[in-house]
Amino acid sequence: MAVRTQFESSNDIGVFARLTNAYCLVGIGGSENFYSTFESELGDHIPVIHSSVGDCRIVGRLTVGNRHGLLVPSSTTDQELQHIRNSLPDNVRLRRCEERLSALGNVIACNDYVALIHPDLDKETEQILTDTLNVECFRQTIADRVLVGSYSMFTNQGGLVHPKTSIQEQEELSSLLQVPLVAGTINRGSDVIGAGLLVNDWIGFCGLDTTAHEISVIESVFKLGQHNLSGSTTTTSNKTIKDALLDALT
Amino acid sequence: MASSQYNFKKIVTIPTAQDFIDIILSKTQRKTPTVVHKQYKIARIRNFYLRKIKFTQQSFHDKLQLILTEFPKLEEVHPFYADLMNVLYDKNHYKLALGQLNIAKNLIDNVAKDYGRMMKFADSLYRCKCLKRAALGRMATIIKRQAQSLQYLEQVRQHLSRLPSIDPNTRTLLICGYPNVGKSSFLNKITRADVEVQPYAFTTKSLYVGHTDYKYLRWQVVDTPGILDHSLEDRNTIEMQAITALAHLRAAILYVMDISETCGYTLEEQLNLFNNIKVLFTNKPLLIVLNKIDIKQFDELSEEKKAVFEQFRKDDVRIIEMSTFSEEGVIEVRNEACDRLLAHRVDIKLKSRKVNDVLNRLHVTQPQKRDERVRAPYIPEGVIQRLESMQVTNNNNDQNVSIEKKKTERDLEIELEEDYHLDLRKTWSLKDNDERYDILPEIYRNKNVADFIDPDIMTKLEELEREEEAREQAGFYDMNESEDDEETTAIRKLAKKIRYKRQVIIGEARSKKQARRTPSVPRPKRAVDRENLENTMSGLGIDMDNKEDSHYVAKVHETRSRSLSRPEIKRKREDSEGHVRSSSKVPRDQSGVRDVTMAKKARKINKISQRKMNLGGKTGEADRRIFIKKPKHLFSGKRSTGKTDRR
Repeated sequence: MAVRTQFESSNDIGVFARLTNAYCLVGIGGSENFYSTFESELGDHIPVIHSSVGDCRIVGRLTVGNRHGLLVPSSTTDQELQHIRNSLPDNVRLRRCEERLSALGNVIACNDYVALIHPDLDKETEQILTDTLNVECFRQTIADRVLVGSYSMFTNQGGLVHPKTSIQEQEELSSLLQVPLVAGTINRGSDVIGAGLLVNDWIGFCGLDTTAHEISVIESVFKLGQHNLSGSTTTTSNKTIKDALLDALT
Repeated sequence: MASSQYNFKKIVTIPTAQDFIDIILSKTQRKTPTVVHKQYKIARIRNFYLRKIKFTQQSFHDKLQLILTEFPKLEEVHPFYADLMNVLYDKNHYKLALGQLNIAKNLIDNVAKDYGRMMKFADSLYRCKCLKRAALGRMATIIKRQAQSLQYLEQVRQHLSRLPSIDPNTRTLLICGYPNVGKSSFLNKITRADVEVQPYAFTTKSLYVGHTDYKYLRWQVVDTPGILDHSLEDRNTIEMQAITALAHLRAAILYVMDISETCGYTLEEQLNLFNNIKVLFTNKPLLIVLNKIDIKQFDELSEEKKAVFEQFRKDDVRIIEMSTFSEEGVIEVRNEACDRLLAHRVDIKLKSRKVNDVLNRLHVTQPQKRDERVRAPYIPEGVIQRLESMQVTNNNNDQNVSIEKKKTERDLEIELEEDYHLDLRKTWSLKDNDERYDILPEIYRNKNVADFIDPDIMTKLEELEREEEAREQAGFYDMNESEDDEETTAIRKLAKKIRYKRQVIIGEARSKKQARRTPSVPRPKRAVDRENLENTMSGLGIDMDNKEDSHYVAKVHETRSRSLSRPEIKRKREDSEGHVRSSSKVPRDQSGVRDVTMAKKARKINKISQRKMNLGGKTGEADRRIFIKKPKHLFSGKRSTGKTDRR
């Protein structure tokens, strides 16, 4: 299931929230509309936490995490750290990280097992990442873009990458991440996947502008909802549609 | 879209030569000034007529330029349209007509320029007017000569606007064959074009276009007029249109043959035509369509007739049978043609570089296993249960299990309106939830509490306490601290004395100040004598011996000004009374004063007389004063500018 939502009429919801399999951080906005979308979908299963990081509400871009842990940048204040610590489940590790590239969400993309990181990230941060989040780290770019966290999004079941990623690059990334990948867009053609999409292993949230096609791609690649039953009919019609699209678009 | 590029419907109508002239002249009449008198200055009259000439010329120019730009240039349009226009309107004629208009435009420009020059020499209104008349007349004549071209172009425009809008680059099926073999009825069957179908040859006299949907795409189907089997030079305009389409459109070709020969041409003739125009089919998907099988089946043909098709078998060309009458096989023909064309186009496009941009988005990459680790998704039990329950409720809707809706923060916010405040600690999960709203200090004893947060703090504290205990037992703290020697006692005594004295001085000063309630001006800063200072300080118990190099001694000797003045180089020019010549006036406080002592005395008296005013902060005699605020003579009677303000 993928839900369309909006943060104060901005479609870049991935900027204002961070969703993992074990918790969800939500930036503090003017009204509770945005928070309550998450609360109603996730509240019974995982904690949905109001938080700011360094007095900023762009928590999605500043933090990175999975169900094992959460990394916050050095700009986080003690009070915020305390609040997040108190709200997170006890088995989730929380760590403040001295990194020059402090928008951790932009430079790191991860699921519960693997992380892609910006090529210029500190060695130390990489070590912290491995320890805190229990992940293997790979220094990678996506379609020649270094901000891997902004231009990709993946869970334990699938991933979406920048639309200009070539097939070879996709193969390479897919083998590293061990999940199926698709190149695509979000929010009616936006290429900043990380900003427009929040997804974990069972639910997804995307900007209000996202088209039905984009949602159907997201639902099938991230295996959200009832898309697990793929029949043989789809494979034959796939070729037809592929040819038709190829002819129409080039 | 590319199709809009070839829409000739928007070309503006071209008037006939006479209309053209009328339009422009009446426009000139409407849009330029009309009144001029002979008593005006000659420059003004000249300008008046010059403007009319220029305006007319500009109007002609714009109108002609519009025609020249709007008509398609044969070199710029797609070769299909270029050839089609050549066939329909004759390329030379078309170009000549446009060229003529271009020349006319330049001639008109020149006329205007010439008469503009001549206008300078006109010396009366009458002459100016004559020049204008001549100029406009010449322009009109130039346009009148173009009557033929204008008429021709108008016809071309009308015809162009009725051409079907064929997009030469899109997916196209092209139907061709002998006249009367059923091309148009096939088009009618697969599209909604509704082309006229009649049982005689050359019903279709031009190209027709229809559109059909297949495989989520739109396909353009072009119906061509029938072609007869003769050489290219003998073909008429109608046939040439078909040939043009065949030559330039990258389409799937459907060569329709009449198997029943009711069209009036034998199968052999139809084969000959095929061979004749075969060159045009190279590199295009080709399909032979046998029509009218409702009249005669393929199996019913005699052997020699069947032999006709041997050639196609040899060339590996697909033959399909259909009947547009019984609609048998019509859809199969369309599908086969579309499939072939699509495969052909995709093949070509796959070779281009642009395709990667699209292809990479139509591809799902599956990972190759790199190790044996299992990377399972992590979905909480509750979620799985909920999803399953949702499926169950979906399956039996009649049960209608209503899940109780949880109250969200948003609901709370709406309910409480202004009283709502965000409770961050609501989500805290602590060991003891009663502690949730405890107040935590951020700073305690000038220390940031957060710096001391440590999960092991209790064990560390115990460690420290144990250490301390051990130290205590070892007798570390037994030593007596009160060890007073003579020196410290002396210092303490002195300090006490200083503190006492200070208190006394402050107290005295305060009581003095309170006793005197009158305003006071602070005493000017007075220099402190060295002797005085040293006495006081030593009285307070500070050693004041040998202070020759101290700062207050040095201060006495130093001068206040920083620059040392040099002795004057020249002697001052003074008069007998010792005044410098430039100082012509004696300062006021020195005038009428006999000598220095007298001046001093006067100054003293002056100061004393001012003391009272100064102490009270009152206005003195030097202060600015306004004696009468509103003098009568300025505020009575009429007041003009500058009367009211007297200061």
